[in-house]
Order: sequence, then structure tokens, then C-alpha cells
Amino acid sequence: MRFVGVIAAAVMTVLAPSAHGHHSFAAEFDGNNCRDFTGVLTKLDWQNPHAYFYLDVKDEGGTTQSWSFQTYALITLKRAGTDRQVFIDNIGKEVFVRGCLAKNGREHYAAAGTMRFADGELRQVGQLQN
Amino acid sequence: MRSSRIILTAALTLGVLAAAQHAMAQEAAGQKYTITVMPPGGPAPRLANGRPDLSGHWLPNSAGQGVSGRYGVDPAATRQFDPQATPEEPPSFRPEALERIRSMTPTELELSKSSVNCMPRGVPAIWLQNPYSTMLVHTPTMLVQLYEVLNNFRVIHTDGRALPEYPEPLFHGNSAARWEGDTLVVESVGFDERTYIMPNGWFHSDELRVTERYTRPSMNYLIVEVTVDDPKVLMKPWKSAPRRWTLGDGDIYEFYCTNNRELEELEKLREQELEQQQ
Repeated sequence: MRFVGVIAAAVMTVLAPSAHGHHSFAAEFDGNNCRDFTGVLTKLDWQNPHAYFYLDVKDEGGTTQSWSFQTYALITLKRAGTDRQVFIDNIGKEVFVRGCLAKNGREHYAAAGTMRFADGELRQVGQLQN
Repeated sequence: MRSSRIILTAALTLGVLAAAQHAMAQEAAGQKYTITVMPPGGPAPRLANGRPDLSGHWLPNSAGQGVSGRYGVDPAATRQFDPQATPEEPPSFRPEALERIRSMTPTELELSKSSVNCMPRGVPAIWLQNPYSTMLVHTPTMLVQLYEVLNNFRVIHTDGRALPEYPEPLFHGNSAARWEGDTLVVESVGFDERTYIMPNGWFHSDELRVTERYTRPSMNYLIVEVTVDDPKVLMKPWKSAPRRWTLGDGDIYEFYCTNNRELEELEKLREQELEQQQ
């Protein structure tokens, strides 16, 4: 069992995405308050230092809320193979996002970590989080 | 002097060779990294005057490509130096400087970072705390540095001119360059005091003097070593580890910081912090 654990840890080391934050994710976002979101991509602001995208997400009561998500800097996204066109091609489609909420309590606002567009590929679009 | 240059060159060469050996060892071990440490890539090119040509599109890692947000990256490829092989001493702050740094709240510290407030990083931070690429265009009489971040640039003349007698405070300072063998040594004085040396609150004074040492031990590697001398802030000069930059094959991109919402969000957080303190 322990051997399996070591193998699993080794595989995770190989597969885990690399992240070099140029400033602290933890200063603005709460790494202990992260959620999975599934919603329809509605809009993209492709500007530096970070892109922002918007999702229509249904809350537990069935009401649709517009959430905004911060990403890496555009350069980092592009060097990791996620360009503007990927977002544009997915507007109006359902996407998955793992994101962490803002520490200052701003509603419907989060930092995106991982994201899956309609193509099914899991991408790292923001700093690592739980 | 000559012997110290030889030792430095040997150390840099060994560093690059060690990195390449690591790449070969992991390949032999059958690991599944898709992004690995770049090989040395043959001898460095030379300028018409015989000096090393530092020209290239340089990335702040050992991979020669972007590493953030990517899967299958060898951790060794993400580093600019190995702290085991080339340890870096922490700066020796004067007590009053340390007190000033420690008095900053976490949010104030965050707001001081150029990556958040979109101020130019300045010299030497542009070589110490910059996750984006830098393009160097080198001729026998100048070294042009094109920084991807904030679309900043800097021109360092290598025609033997001296430092100005009365330098004005600039983000990149006022620089004079000379060759010591195959090392380009750049001395700079006169800095705008709004920049930070590192994104940990390490501020500087008007007496900051920076020495950058540039070498290109092989085609794919640029080594930059920085010495910070600032008697009003430091008890003794601080020397960085020799940091590796690797030759990238992709484009340098535009990065004008025009849509920074973090400032607003962090200002709200600081207000909340202050309210809690009262």
C-alpha cells in the first residue's frame, strides 16, 4: 500500500502543472474557499495583466448568477497553449472551472485555477489551489 | 583578478553542464517529463569585435519555453538556479530597514509589488523578479534590453562612456558597461526610489548601486548575476546567485498593463484590515 502511495506521489510529481506566481494568489483569494463551477461562458476580457471571463452559473435555488473569474497573465496562458481563440470558440458553451473566492467578500468573483472547455482537456489557467 | 574570472567561468560552465547531465539522466531513467532542462547547445556566438553576443529571446527558467501552467515539467527546468549548487545568502538589512519592511501588512506588501501596481520593475528587479521573457539585441556598441513585461526597454551603451556625474533618478538607473574577459559588467547608479529589489518589501535608497554581470557560457544559456550595494539599507552588499535564462524559440509578446482590477480589490481588503485593527 505504501509502495502504491510512493508511485502515486511520483506520478503526481510528473503530472502536476507547474506554477510560478509572480505575486501572491493567497493575498487576494482564499485557497480554503474553492469550488467547482459548471456554467455557460458568456464573455471574455482579454487584457493584461489578467484576463477575466464570465460564466452564467445556476445557484442552488435555480437562479442564474453571472460569475467573473481572473486568470493568469495573457502571456502565461499563451505559452501554456491557451489562447484567446479557445475562449472565443467556447462562448455560449458549457465549461467547468475550479476557482477560489475573493478574500474581500466580493460576490460572484473568483480566481480560476483549472478549467475544462468543451474539448475536454483540463487546462491550468490560474495559480494552483486546492 | 584573472584567476577569479577563470573560476567564475568554470563554475558557470559546470552549472550548465550539470543541468544538461540532469536532463540526460532523467531521460535515461525513462521519466515522463515532456518539458526538460535545455542542453547547452554548443558555443556562444560572437560579435564582430570578438566579444560574446548576448542576443536572443531569453526565458527565466532552464527550459527554453514557458513552464507556468503546463503539465509534465521537470522541476529542475523551472528553476533559474539550484540553491543547493549555488546558494544565495539572504540580504543583511540594517535594523531600521528591517523594521520598515516588517511593519508592512500582507496587503500593503502585495500592493507594493510591481506585478500588482503595474509600476516598472526597474533594475535590478527586472532580472530578479520577472517571470516573463526578455529579448536582448547586442551590437559592439550597445546592448538593447527589450522586456516583455510592461513593454519596457533599456539601452546600455558599451562604447566605454562613463557614468554621469549627476545622475537623475530613473527606473532602470544610469548605466556604464565594460568587458572583463567574456563577462559584460554593467554598473548602474541613480534609481527611482519607488521600485523594490525583491517582491518582499526590500526597498532601496538613493545610494543604491547595482552591478550586473552577464555571461553566455553556451548557445542556449545566459547567466545574469546581480550585486546590490545600498549602505542606507544593507549592512553589506548582497550578491545574487548566477541566474540562468534560456534561449526561447517563441515570440516576445505585448504586455501593457491596462486592466488591473487587483488594485481595487486589494484596496478594499486593506480597508477591511484597517477596520479590524480599530
